Amino acid sequence: MTAALFLAHALALLLLPVVIVGVINRVKSLWSGRRGPPVLQLAYDVARLLRKVPVYSATTTPIFRLAPYVVLVTAVVSGSIVPLLGSRAPLSFAFDFVWFAYVWGLGRVALMLGALDTGSSFEGMGASREATYAAILEPALFLVAGALCLSTGQSSFAGALALRVGGGASFVVWFASVVALVIVVQVETARMPVDDPTTHLELTMIHEVMVLDHSGPELAAIEVGAAVKLTVGISLVATLLNPWAGSASWALAALANVALCFVVAALLGCVESLVARLKLRAVPQYILAAIIAGGVALLATMWRTGGEG
Amino acid sequence: MMLPLLVAGPVLILGAALALVLRRNADRALAALASQALATALVLLAVVPILAGGPPLVRAWPWSFPVEVVTLRVDALSAFFLAWSLPMTLLGTVYAVGYLQPYFDAGRNGGPHFALLNMVSLSFLTVYSVQNALVFLLGWEIAAVSAWLLVIWDYGNQRVRFAGFNYLVSTHVGLFVLVAAFMFMHSQTGSMEFQDFGAFLSRPSRGRVIVCALLATSFALKSAFFPFHTWLPRAHSAAPAHVSALMSGVIHKAGLFAFLRFTLLLGRPEEWMGWCVLAFGGLSALFGVLYTSSQRDLKRLLGYSSTENVGIAAMGFGVAYLGLSWDRPELVLAGIAGGLLHLFNHALFKCLLFYAAGAVYRATHTIDLERLGGLLRRMPRTAVMFLVGGLAISALPPLNGFVSEYIVYSGLLAGAAPSRPANVALVCMAALLAFVGAVSALSMTRAFGVAFLGAPRDPSVHVEGDAPPLMLAPMVLHAAGVVVIGVAPGAGLALGRSVCLLFQPRGFELTEAVLTSTLAPMQWACRALAALLLVGCVLGWRQGRRARQHVTWGCGYTAPNARMQYTASSFSSDFLRIFEAFLPQLRREHLPREIFPQEPGHLATHSVDAVERRMLEVLWQGEHFVVQTSERIPEEPRFAFGAGLVALLVIVGLLVVGAVR
Repeated sequence: MTAALFLAHALALLLLPVVIVGVINRVKSLWSGRRGPPVLQLAYDVARLLRKVPVYSATTTPIFRLAPYVVLVTAVVSGSIVPLLGSRAPLSFAFDFVWFAYVWGLGRVALMLGALDTGSSFEGMGASREATYAAILEPALFLVAGALCLSTGQSSFAGALALRVGGGASFVVWFASVVALVIVVQVETARMPVDDPTTHLELTMIHEVMVLDHSGPELAAIEVGAAVKLTVGISLVATLLNPWAGSASWALAALANVALCFVVAALLGCVESLVARLKLRAVPQYILAAIIAGGVALLATMWRTGGEG
Repeated sequence: MMLPLLVAGPVLILGAALALVLRRNADRALAALASQALATALVLLAVVPILAGGPPLVRAWPWSFPVEVVTLRVDALSAFFLAWSLPMTLLGTVYAVGYLQPYFDAGRNGGPHFALLNMVSLSFLTVYSVQNALVFLLGWEIAAVSAWLLVIWDYGNQRVRFAGFNYLVSTHVGLFVLVAAFMFMHSQTGSMEFQDFGAFLSRPSRGRVIVCALLATSFALKSAFFPFHTWLPRAHSAAPAHVSALMSGVIHKAGLFAFLRFTLLLGRPEEWMGWCVLAFGGLSALFGVLYTSSQRDLKRLLGYSSTENVGIAAMGFGVAYLGLSWDRPELVLAGIAGGLLHLFNHALFKCLLFYAAGAVYRATHTIDLERLGGLLRRMPRTAVMFLVGGLAISALPPLNGFVSEYIVYSGLLAGAAPSRPANVALVCMAALLAFVGAVSALSMTRAFGVAFLGAPRDPSVHVEGDAPPLMLAPMVLHAAGVVVIGVAPGAGLALGRSVCLLFQPRGFELTEAVLTSTLAPMQWACRALAALLLVGCVLGWRQGRRARQHVTWGCGYTAPNARMQYTASSFSSDFLRIFEAFLPQLRREHLPREIFPQEPGHLATHSVDAVERRMLEVLWQGEHFVVQTSERIPEEPRFAFGAGLVALLVIVGLLVVGAVR
């Protein structure tokens, strides 16, 4: 039973990223009146990139060559912590979200070092922005995770995300956590309104500008890593939204979770189509909103049990 | 088993004496190294059984006035600190032989320097084992003065002399406060023995609060907590690399040792003390790490990061204080184990980073980040060492920094506080720690990325080749420690096991088995991550074998040069803009005007320490005030003025005494 669940988890981690990226892109193209690329375009792209020969800048060192694979491995490993299928995660232990956050941090550092290794001023600019926004975003994730842990009495991600909503205060915790997590996902995975994955102006990019020099299999590794990270982030929000998360009927939970992942992805696609990218100077304020939402969730935990006991 | 410990002292003194009298630098180095190696072996012989759970070693001698009796007592806490302080000093001495070689070639006498390194080891033996306040102060002072003399190795340089003097004054302000605390306790107990101090400290009283405040101030100055850190960046940037490493990683841990020693004497602290320690640690971690993000001097950056890391350790100890006052043994265990392990980890990776920075300085004669670049190609071994240290200090798995921070997190997030507001406050501290970790990653990415990656920024900087074996060997050993504790945290925890038992509140028998079982899944997760990273990198490396080479894509611009790369200041400028209220920056600019500028423009930014700036301002204002006031004093009735001052002193003294009683 457990083995089957974990196999399903691994399968989902393998397939969902391709579809989720496809769904977002399809939603965006529908909004702009195009038919858009096929839903499985990412898979075709990866297959094409894998056949290519990488090109290295003469400035670069082995760091540049290895960074994409560190990004990929950290993204996949972080996927084993989250309850992608709603009920359980293959790797679940006390305070695993701390580990999760720092594994994401490792991937981010590798990406930034790869960017700095090219000696390009544009890539340095992207690395600087990524480091800055990630640093101020970090407390938001911990505030949310701490709030969820306090209100569920659980200490692992999978347990804490299965929050039961009952009563006003726990609704506040839940709602504020969802808001904060959505912003966390948007910033961490470089989506609108923070970063535009389709922009072609280097001066305004964050994530895309850091991968300008990567090519061939390395670019494929980064693309897949980014897609996995996006899926993992979306599944966090989906599990929190999922009313059957953590319940006994794991099949129901899994179905609901996957469906919700697509819903969240479609919503992200709508946001990207309808909202303009923020000015870079406004991004810290947007991140502040996530921190405030996390703080509200945390304070609400105090109010609830204070009232009861 | 006390004997080896007692022999170690004379061995070190003999080594120091030999280093002073021998004629050749090689012999002097050999004398210091041999004596330190012997002393290290003796000390390990004595302390390993204690760390394994053996009984403490106690020995007392009668002595003449004013000490009367010298008691040596090596319990698990002393053993923990002794077990790594001496070996790391030995490694530092090995590094010194390599690092100072150019000076020796120029005919400089290295004898006093090696003798002082021996004296540092001797001061550890004293400080970590004596039970008498006067002898403790003696050891404390030996450490302080030796460190000062080690810092001013390059005394011909005015900047170095100033940094050394700055350190000397700060450390003696700390000593002054410490003496005040000891005198106060002497006045209350009539004794200078720690045991008698303990009897006074374990009873809640107003006097205890004053003593605790004095002790905390002194130890905070010693370990460079914010806002007592101002001497630290100057001293670390001026000292030779191995001295910076030893000061930051080893010598100044004495402050935290003393803090823990008095915590043991304190018994059960009050709750507000715990909150104070936690908040103070958090403040230190926050400001320490904020300052690392703006430095352009690599060693100054590492110095500020020491303030950050002692802050993180203190957060752990704060959790333990709260656990003691709430009778929550799991919090005590997590706090003490996390804090201690972080101290040890910090010693491992901070020495590593300073050694690597020293190798950069040896090769390029600069540690200004803005002038470096592309060092990885010219000194790959040093670069790898710096990268390992940098990743570890940013607490990234699977290296050791993550392990200790994870244990501290497990205390903060456990939800074990008796009240909801307290739990919320602890989670807020965890969020602060997360921010500190992320900013630390920013700073280290910046330092490594700018100095070692990209292309060389300044053509006038010549690289003289990678670190020689004598400098590389200590780095490799430290890096090995960093990796081993990262993938096998049990090894680090075993070192602190007996110490954790010392701190457990009476009536609770919670062994570290609890912690080991909590850590086990994380440990496997870290190992799996390490293995996957290895596999991923190997597979990826094979993919790149058939690669073609080209230039960096300049986004359409065809004539980029190395000066156009992102610099250290531009890398952190976005971040600094958000936190400019805390990170003052002096800016001198003369920007080019018009479309075809006639005269060249320039821009210089300089990050300054806000605390130091404010302190100097206050001192200056105070001096101004005193000068103005003294001008108003009439010339004639000097006697009346003097009498007035004496009366004022007496009144203040009486008030203080009255407040205490």
